[in-house]
Amino acid sequence: MKRFLVVIGVLILILVLGVLIGVALGPVKVDAHRLLSAILMRGDASAHVLVWDLRMPRVVAALLVGACLGVSGCLLQSSTRNPLGDPQLFGLGGGAAVVQALAMAGILRTGTWGLIALSVVASLIGAGAIALFASRQGISPARLALIGVSLSALAAAVATGILAEARVFSQQSLSFIGGSFANRGWSDVVPALPFFGIGLVLALPVMGKLNALALGDRVAANLGAEPRRTRAIAIAASGVLGGAAVAVAGLVGFVGLLIPHLARLLVGHDIRAILIISIPLGAAVTLFADQAARLVFTPSEVPVGLVTAVVGAPLMIYVARRVL
Amino acid sequence: MIVNLEDLSFVRRGKTVLSDVATVIPDGALTCLVGPNGAGKTTLLHILAGELRATSGKFLIDGSDASALSQKEVACYFSLIPQDVQPPPHFTVFELVALGRFRSDKRPLWWRLSEIERDAVHSYLARCRIEPLSQRRVEELSGGEQQRAWLAFGLAQEKRFLLLDETLDGLDIIAKQSFFRLLKEIASEGKGVLLTTHDLDLVTQFADKVVVLNDGSVSYEGSPNTNLPQLFSPNNG
Repeated sequence: MKRFLVVIGVLILILVLGVLIGVALGPVKVDAHRLLSAILMRGDASAHVLVWDLRMPRVVAALLVGACLGVSGCLLQSSTRNPLGDPQLFGLGGGAAVVQALAMAGILRTGTWGLIALSVVASLIGAGAIALFASRQGISPARLALIGVSLSALAAAVATGILAEARVFSQQSLSFIGGSFANRGWSDVVPALPFFGIGLVLALPVMGKLNALALGDRVAANLGAEPRRTRAIAIAASGVLGGAAVAVAGLVGFVGLLIPHLARLLVGHDIRAILIISIPLGAAVTLFADQAARLVFTPSEVPVGLVTAVVGAPLMIYVARRVL
Repeated sequence: MIVNLEDLSFVRRGKTVLSDVATVIPDGALTCLVGPNGAGKTTLLHILAGELRATSGKFLIDGSDASALSQKEVACYFSLIPQDVQPPPHFTVFELVALGRFRSDKRPLWWRLSEIERDAVHSYLARCRIEPLSQRRVEELSGGEQQRAWLAFGLAQEKRFLLLDETLDGLDIIAKQSFFRLLKEIASEGKGVLLTTHDLDLVTQFADKVVVLNDGSVSYEGSPNTNLPQLFSPNNG
């Protein structure tokens, strides 16, 4: 418990630092005094617009998407007992990606709220398929992962096909496929918040039971943990969170896969602790990745998924070699 | 407390797995369920654990009908350690046994083991003689030590009956003997222990009662002081 609180404390400090970097740095220089005034909402109009309308929504989008992906991955990994559990790898994000591609191609015309809701629904369909396969007796983690990867590849092919067919600008397509927080405003972020809430509200009551699921379905059922129901709820929550994340930022890879493993290294095996830690940890990793994506190559920027992959791949290889 | 099976049958996809099984499983005794592969031993254990429902017949716990109870309700009486159970990756022995204290009706957000619960976990670790290994990872232990960890996990649930499904396969004879001795001690303290096994010599040596299943029906029940291999059906044995 002590360790858990220390980790939470450190992560909150890192998050505060990340938010400050996110609002302070950028192509337009703002001195510390103006920045502080703007943050406290007492600044001049231009600083206010820069901090609150341009930079802060992007920061909040990164925090939100990171938290969604972290929790989503944690729920998938624990409920399917699969270390490869990740909303993108398991095809949950794929459904949402098709919806986003349809919207970018102009085929689907709806407002932000409708688009996020549709993404979540599409992601839930992917989640339903995974839940169905995962509930089969004796399905191995490798087979489940293969099914997930296949679903995901299929959805990615459909989404790319839609973008290509509609001749969507390559820059726009790239930032969607690689994930990006560029130009996100409050109108993109706010509609995703309730879905983050719904995902968490679904997930929190089954957290304790997810621990019992680690023992296998038979033993979990014998402990009263209702494995099928628990798994269905966890995967549905994962679908809601994964869909919302794709709707805001496109396909940001590695976060959902990596965060639960990092959280486990930090706080041990209790899924409840891992799940709670995944919120600030996912948020922090994504926020810093986005800072790197927009600041390293200023004035142009790279997709955030590129940074998460560059940082995530070696970390994941380390985790796979040392821990799994 | 006693479990009574009355003419219990189970049919899976048109195939009769258990037919008119009638037997008594007492508490305070080590009962061994033996029989050739495919005789229905595991199915019977899963009916007792509430995972499967008998197609016909009755299953009584202390005289009251348990066939209509939900899996969760039946599971309150039996802790099940299934065949080929895999330890969760990276769990220490202590963490595994502590999961045995999981209660689905009590799930506060910050569930931590109280001192009382912690003491209970330690007492079961000591009971199964694996306390010195409590901080080791379960997957790093030998087969015999792993089985004792699972036994402590089963005991930590504090249910009246313990169901163990061929948990001794792959252990050497010394480990098997010490495990049987431990089960016998646990049974003599009042718990009902039901074990499916193929080790007839050890059954003869340690069991209080033996039930022989052949082709889904009970062909013998009673004391183990008999020629057990002869009771196996020639078709299957």
